[in-house]
Amino acid sequence: MGLGLRAPPNDKRGSAGETGGTARNALAADIVRMILVAAAYYVAAKLSLRLALVQRNVTPLWPPTGIAVVAFLVFGRRVWPGVAVAAFAVNAPISTNLLAAGVTAVGNTLAPFAAAALLQRVGFRREIDRLRDAVAIILAALTGMTISASIGAGTLVLSGAVAARGFGPAWAVWWAGDTMGVLVVAPFLLSVPGYRSLRSWGRRAELAALLAAIAAVTLAVMRSDLRIMFLTLPLLGFAAWRFQQLGAAPGALLVAGIAAWTAAHGLGPFESGTLFQKMLTLQAYNATVAFTSFLFAAVVTERLRAREALQRGAEELEARVQRRTSDLSAANLRLKDEITERKDAERKLRERERQLGEAQHMAHIGSWEWLIPEDRVTWSDEMFRIHGYRPQEFAVDFSRAVRQVHEEDVLRVRRNVQQALAEARDHRLPDIEYRITRADGTERVLLGKALLTVRAGGAPHRMVGTVQDVTEDKQAQREHLIAETLQRNLLPEGLPAIPGIELVARYVPAAEGMEVGGDWYDALEVPGGYVALAVGDVVGHGLRAASSMGQLRMALRAYAMLDPSPAHVVRRLHELIEHLALTEMATVIYILLDLDSGTVRYVSAGHPPPLVIPVDGEVAYLGGGLGPPLGTVRHPDDYLEAHAELPIGSTLVVYTDGLVERRGISITEGLDRLRRAASAGGDATLEAMCDRLLASVAAEGASDDIALLALRHVAVGGGPMHLSIRADPRSLAPARRAVRRWLEQIGAGPKVSSEILVACGEACANAVQHAYGAGEGRVDVDLALADGEVQVTVRDSGRWKAASGTGWGRGLTLMRGLMDSVEIDRGTDGTTVRMRRSLGAGNVP
Amino acid sequence: MSELAYLETGRRGDASLVRVHGEIDASNVDELSVGIERASEHGSIGLVVDLSETTYLDSAGIALLFRLAERLRARRQELRLVVPAQAPVRAVLELSGLSAIAPIDPGEDATSPGIPD
Repeated sequence: MGLGLRAPPNDKRGSAGETGGTARNALAADIVRMILVAAAYYVAAKLSLRLALVQRNVTPLWPPTGIAVVAFLVFGRRVWPGVAVAAFAVNAPISTNLLAAGVTAVGNTLAPFAAAALLQRVGFRREIDRLRDAVAIILAALTGMTISASIGAGTLVLSGAVAARGFGPAWAVWWAGDTMGVLVVAPFLLSVPGYRSLRSWGRRAELAALLAAIAAVTLAVMRSDLRIMFLTLPLLGFAAWRFQQLGAAPGALLVAGIAAWTAAHGLGPFESGTLFQKMLTLQAYNATVAFTSFLFAAVVTERLRAREALQRGAEELEARVQRRTSDLSAANLRLKDEITERKDAERKLRERERQLGEAQHMAHIGSWEWLIPEDRVTWSDEMFRIHGYRPQEFAVDFSRAVRQVHEEDVLRVRRNVQQALAEARDHRLPDIEYRITRADGTERVLLGKALLTVRAGGAPHRMVGTVQDVTEDKQAQREHLIAETLQRNLLPEGLPAIPGIELVARYVPAAEGMEVGGDWYDALEVPGGYVALAVGDVVGHGLRAASSMGQLRMALRAYAMLDPSPAHVVRRLHELIEHLALTEMATVIYILLDLDSGTVRYVSAGHPPPLVIPVDGEVAYLGGGLGPPLGTVRHPDDYLEAHAELPIGSTLVVYTDGLVERRGISITEGLDRLRRAASAGGDATLEAMCDRLLASVAAEGASDDIALLALRHVAVGGGPMHLSIRADPRSLAPARRAVRRWLEQIGAGPKVSSEILVACGEACANAVQHAYGAGEGRVDVDLALADGEVQVTVRDSGRWKAASGTGWGRGLTLMRGLMDSVEIDRGTDGTTVRMRRSLGAGNVP
Repeated sequence: MSELAYLETGRRGDASLVRVHGEIDASNVDELSVGIERASEHGSIGLVVDLSETTYLDSAGIALLFRLAERLRARRQELRLVVPAQAPVRAVLELSGLSAIAPIDPGEDATSPGIPD
């Protein structure tokens, strides 16, 4: 019990804690196995006893021993009772007595038991697929069966069944029979589970045919008198080669069985000779068959296994190689991808570099980097071009870079850099404008910007920067400045202060671009007591337009002084432009205002129409009086006057096309918009209105210059009036007109008016003539109405240069004669004349 | 010609005639003086200065008339002024005392000859 080295897996009787049920089941299974083994043993024994050669119980082939060995190997040695009982049952009828049968049974049980123990001890494999397993089973059979042979033969002698001298042959036959039983039967039984591996019908058929051939050949040779029994061997060898133990074991069993049967019946090769000779022949033949077949089978199996192992190894190697190869190719692929990516990145980088270069080229911007500790400077291609060299023509360092700077600017550039380095912190340097001398000797103006980075501790590390060639910009700036200055100087410095009107002018340069336009305006008092307004636009921009505009304005003033009538002035301007070829084209509107009558006369040469904003009523453009632009018409008579009313309170707006012309809208719509904006009204002052009109345009983005001139006809009467006139005899007449209008508006009669006018005029004339001489100065005139009395004050801040001569005496006489009272206050800071005149006295309606 | 005033010249009987349109002040008095002198022919018995169209006359104009009268007297010529009663310059002339040396006609009488164009 428990000796088995290979106890079956369900043998759990040694395990602790197992349930009684499981133990009972195991015991029942063992009993079933014992009965099976006993039955098999008994049947095999009864069959083989028919082949007995000695008495009736010594046979040349004893299969039950093989069955017992296999039972012990497969089920474990604990099935020995089954073997023992079966052996006793077999021997009992053929032994001389029951004791002899029992002893023989013990021997028959012990022999396979020992053989099985021996096999298990040496690590026998039931598949017999190794040479050592074949050798092991042969040795185990040879040695193990000595037990049964010795006990069996001994019992035969002792029981008197065989004579003492018959012990040797009986032992030999017994031993050989048991050994052959083991060698022929055990391999076959052990090979039975292996038949499951024959899956294809072809193989099964082949095996069956082979076994049939073996049987046939064996039967044939056993029938022959010729001793040719060995002819079976090649077939057995073939079977062993083709099917190993599956072919060899049944083949050997067949051959050995047929041979034993033939020997038992004394047929064929066993027909003649002694029993011993027959026995020897049969045993030798059987031993040869058994040894040859399963030794050969074992060797072939081993070889096959070795080949399989080799093949598996080769396959494994192959697989490993494939794995390795695929690893390698994957790595290769990755490498390829990486290379492609790198190339791609490199290409993109080059692309970006090229784009940067082009951008720099277009913008005239060069960039540089200065690694300060190494004093290594890198210049972009454009940097070289700006300096007049081919890209990367030479290696740059700081001193080489500074050498390009114009000698007058070198110090400034160096100082800029040194100050930055001294600051010892990351920062942006102040921009610097400096000149360089290019390779060809020309000068350029550059605008430099730079950034300094320092290491921890403030040591300078790196400076990067850009330079921009601003030479052309500087030039353009200069020209723009000149044009702007010119234009500003060409426009009137101020507007004349004329009682009865308010004047506001606006000039807005175009928001876009640098060019100065040719828009202009003017307002002046002209002979006859009129006020002349003009707004014009010279086609083109820049210096030329500005200068043409200036000339036109001056010419207009000159013509207006000669004859202020609109047709005259505009026709003369037209002729001027035609004869002098001042400009290709110009528009102008000229308006002459008669304050006394409140009417305007005007001529427009291709200019947008003036706008009239009445006190109440509809805002409207003044139509008529429109001729072609100056310089485009053949005959000057095409310019015809139109006239319109401008009652007190009305406002007249004249402007250049910038106010109404905008991208994307028609001129008509522009005019509509302006009219709507002007209709909105509600402005506190005329200035506010102008600003609002401009803002409404600016909000929509003015694209051209705008000149705007607004005139409001206002009442002068009622309140006090102040005049400030130049100390010039020519100022006297305009001043008189203002005073005359004021007097009219306060309701003074013609006689009183003209008398006050003369007195006031005298005071002014005296101030003009005596206070300043040829010098510059102003005379202030104030008129006020109080209690039906007009008060006139004329003040100058000069020194009367001569004692009153005849003129002054006469003037004083006039003043005293015309006015109710005259006071003259001569102070160190000027003279003040105060006069009064009652409207009632001599005021003839 | 001055912007303020202009002269219209002609004859009235045996005398020369100058009609002053516009205003006379310090700014144009010298100019007017020359023009008026030129109009007074040496052969005539005198000079008639018509101020009926004169809208403004101040002491500068008075001084001009005084000087004119003196020069004419030196040539044995007479200066006569035409000033309607409603003329704006009437008051000034009256105040100036010019009437003492130059007779003043109210003008516009039927006997006075028309001024040729």
